[in-house]
Amino acid sequence: MSDSSKLRLGEFEAQVKDGAVDLINRIETGDFAGAIKIIQDLSESRHNNFYNEVGYLTRSLHDAIRDFKVDSVDQLVDQVDGASKITDATDRLNYVIDMTNRAANTTMDMVDSSVPVASQLQDQARDLRKDWGRLIQRDLTPAEFRELYKRIDVFLQTADESATTLHSNLNAILLEQGYQDLTGQVITRVTELIRDVEEKLVHLVAVAGRVDSISGMEHEEEESEIDDTKGHGPAINSDNNPEVLNSQDEVDDLLSSLGF
Amino acid sequence: MKILIVDDFSTMRRIIKNLLRDLGFTNTVEADDGTTALPILQTGTIDFLVTDWNMPGMTGIELLRSVRADEKLKTIPVLMVTAEAKRDQIIAAAQAGVNGYVVKPFTAVALKEKIEKIFERIDAGK
Repeated sequence: MSDSSKLRLGEFEAQVKDGAVDLINRIETGDFAGAIKIIQDLSESRHNNFYNEVGYLTRSLHDAIRDFKVDSVDQLVDQVDGASKITDATDRLNYVIDMTNRAANTTMDMVDSSVPVASQLQDQARDLRKDWGRLIQRDLTPAEFRELYKRIDVFLQTADESATTLHSNLNAILLEQGYQDLTGQVITRVTELIRDVEEKLVHLVAVAGRVDSISGMEHEEEESEIDDTKGHGPAINSDNNPEVLNSQDEVDDLLSSLGF
Repeated sequence: MKILIVDDFSTMRRIIKNLLRDLGFTNTVEADDGTTALPILQTGTIDFLVTDWNMPGMTGIELLRSVRADEKLKTIPVLMVTAEAKRDQIIAAAQAGVNGYVVKPFTAVALKEKIEKIFERIDAGK
């Protein structure tokens, strides 16, 4: 909590204490009009205090969000895809989804186009090896030998071209991993905003708690229900959570203990 | 053998589709959550269901329960491929009648093993 708000609340508490003493005195001396005036003053002061605090927090939140919008990641993003400015956290996270999506798809495209090249090389090499074996066994006719001679030439050329294709596909896959750097930077910014907002929310809750204690309001604690049906997403820090299984082996063990 | 792949992320659907193709299952269809998967299942052409858990709309566990509750669909083998790894969830999936459970991130070997195991069981039960 900021020092200034502590001060304001401290002042308010002092005001309540003083007011209470004053109130009792007035009631004892029969000055009911004065007593009611004190109650009204205290009530007004309580409201002002709370609304000042809300106003202060709103401004802080607004500032934090505005600062977040204008910082430098915008430039980075613009350089990369030349598209519209990304100006808020949701857009930034959508950008992360797009980037990772594109990287995953490009990588899979490259894999898809590499697999047949490798298969073709494998098929040709196996064919040649069969006939090559016969050559070693001196089991080839002169005509077959001439044919093999040509096929080896064709194969060597294919091997060269295939290696070039595979090389360039692997390079494309490598380059595509650049998304990690860019999305990492964006996520770091969003994390900073969340931390900032959380800090201010904690502050708000603390203030609300103090207001509650001063005003004597009580709230029923609602028990938060955890719904497994909706899912939790990937487990983070699963090492520290005994309820989360860490590997396929543990899942298999659990299932087999259930008779699977 | 026609397989329905249900996942809200197209990249994950593509990965699973490619792995299945490598295992020799080339006839696949895709859906992005339980709500879009059910009508496809109800056409009666699907022999095997691979589903994620955490999806918008209808989740994988709800889809599994709907499949098991449907007289026409209840015998379809269901493999869950999901990041959900809480003990209670796996038990819930088992109770709902899942045939296999693969946690993400997974390997091609793990997927292959589970699918083969499911088919072995089906063949043994015949």
